Amino acid sequence: MPFSAQLPASGERYALSASLDNARHLSSLLRAVHFQDYATCLATASGLRVTVEDAKCIQANAFIQAEIFQEFSVQEESVMFRISLSVLLDCLTIFGSSSLPGTSTALRMCYRGYGYPLMLFLEEGGVVTVCKINTQEPEELLDFDFCSTKVVNKIILQSEGLREAFAELDMTSEVLQITMSPDKPYFRLSTFGNAGSAHLDYPRDSDLMEAFHCNQTQTNRYKISLLKPSTKALALSCKVSIRTDAQGFLSLQYMIRNEDGQICFVEYYCCPDEDITEAEL
Amino acid sequence: MKCVIGGAQLRVFGRAIHAIARISDEFWFDPVEKGLALRSVNSSRSAYACVFFSSMFFQHYCWTAVSQSCQKEKQLSLPCKLIIKSVLPVFRCVNVLERNVEKCSISTSPSEHHITFQLLCRHGVVKTYNLTFQECDPLQAVFAKHMCPNILKVHSRLLADVMIHFPTSQEEITLSITPMKVCFKSYTEEDTDFSRTMLTEIQLSPEEFDYFQVGVDSEVTFCLKELRGLLAFSEATSVPVSIHFDRCGKPIAFSIEDLLLEASFILATLCEAEKEAASSEPACCPRPWDSSRTGIDKSDQASMDGASNAATAASKKPQQKENTPSMDPAKPPSALAKQEVKNVPRGTEKDVPGRAGAATAEAVGGEATEAPHAKFHSLFFGAVSYKEKEAIGDTFQSLATASDTEELGALQSSPVL
Repeated sequence: MPFSAQLPASGERYALSASLDNARHLSSLLRAVHFQDYATCLATASGLRVTVEDAKCIQANAFIQAEIFQEFSVQEESVMFRISLSVLLDCLTIFGSSSLPGTSTALRMCYRGYGYPLMLFLEEGGVVTVCKINTQEPEELLDFDFCSTKVVNKIILQSEGLREAFAELDMTSEVLQITMSPDKPYFRLSTFGNAGSAHLDYPRDSDLMEAFHCNQTQTNRYKISLLKPSTKALALSCKVSIRTDAQGFLSLQYMIRNEDGQICFVEYYCCPDEDITEAEL
Repeated sequence: MKCVIGGAQLRVFGRAIHAIARISDEFWFDPVEKGLALRSVNSSRSAYACVFFSSMFFQHYCWTAVSQSCQKEKQLSLPCKLIIKSVLPVFRCVNVLERNVEKCSISTSPSEHHITFQLLCRHGVVKTYNLTFQECDPLQAVFAKHMCPNILKVHSRLLADVMIHFPTSQEEITLSITPMKVCFKSYTEEDTDFSRTMLTEIQLSPEEFDYFQVGVDSEVTFCLKELRGLLAFSEATSVPVSIHFDRCGKPIAFSIEDLLLEASFILATLCEAEKEAASSEPACCPRPWDSSRTGIDKSDQASMDGASNAATAASKKPQQKENTPSMDPAKPPSALAKQEVKNVPRGTEKDVPGRAGAATAEAVGGEATEAPHAKFHSLFFGAVSYKEKEAIGDTFQSLATASDTEELGALQSSPVL
């Protein structure tokens, strides 16, 4: 059966329909936020946002702009559904995740609307796979209310510099402490593990530092177990923007360049670790 | 104490840490006037490693803790025991260290109770690790290399080329030597199913060796794991490896030495039970240990208490295990004691905590199990002491006598361990 015969007839109305000539552009970004099984997808005219949350403390968003897709149309103002990210990833990589150069999996994605499954048509080398993934009621998402006007400190680093640091994080430490300051130590990552403490200092004039806008000294702690999943995004990215607001909420924005040179963003928001000892005493 | 290691030397230092990691989960960081010693003893006391870096190895070396305000108040640096797992991350990826790290400075401050490793890396990044340590006097193996009848000296590359043929699962190998040939072969236990195992045997002629001395034909079996560590390390320094050994049951020493560093790995060798039984007469069996006691180890200062500890710790054994049926009742107590401390069965990785006297008798590792056939002879250990006043008295005499006084031994052994 030819691929076209499988495709939905143009007369049918889909709330969301999109096509992409290389499914890997989508799957690699989804993998960068894949630390929980379920994700909430929100499609608007500007593109697709896939959100994953954990413990009401961390939220990861992968943005795939409409321009990345060859075709992207949303009939309503916004379309939202919840889906198993593991299943979605399995389907997207059904022809293998490490494709040979020159071969790519083409994707057409359709969603008829509330209550309907997400349909994926994947084609590689003349072989077509049709996947229907059941969708779920979307859950309410956390609103971190992190807007750029409230940012206190902001640093843009080449990801290379942070990759090693995250790979070597002492996981016996419960928290990762991030210090950002207009004065020394400028940017410091600290862990406090069983063996002792470790500090990693980046000077502001380092080659790795693309931008340094720190207005006040801030030291915040974040649960290391919550931040560790962002390593997946870090691995793919070329630059990372680290921002904090006055309450110590952390935003990690990863700039990811795909094989075609297009740029996408994955963003992680994380709550600071409250110092509960004071409250307890 | 403070020392600074340059980028190129850091690879060597890192390899040393990795080699020591093969021995045990903890090691002693022992700065002395002439340089820095890293020592480690495994939990069953059957392997010992010491890597000594002379002060010349470092860009800067200062073994006393100098407070800049008052230079007169020099404090002696304390030897400290560190958990290897906490130090390994500092020297992760040894091969790229050289490229990524400009220099590494290590400093201890007794007041703060931590040791600081600071790496100055590329792009101006500074990594600082403050690791907690335990104040603890180090042990060292009491072993006289120069008394060994058999000495081989060979380039580490050749030895590594030999070892590469043994599968990674191979735990022990046997080295046999005659004036005509040297042979390395896989060691297998007697109940091994030969249809399922691969045996490897590599013969070398005496010409392959830089130095070749055979005093006695012998066949010794030792663990391969620790040797592999030493070889990985010695390749970083490209210095020949000297092998000193005697008959089976007595330790084998692998050592390397150049201007900047010395390393020796002393491994227990397997002692066949039958041979052991044949030589179990009191006069005959402890003799090898007499010979090792009369020799003083490299740092020349095996202190009395330390050395006696090993023996006294040994004396605790029969007290606990008097009724063990496997023991030969004919042996007089002291010989029994010496016998027992040597019998550290293979495969016993940890001391058994909680049993009576285990805390004080920690020197006797792996006492809990009895291997039926062959056993590794564990090593004797003495404390490393640098204070002359402590190194008084006749070490050897006390070794022999202390084995009868159990109470004293228990008291003495605690500060050492």
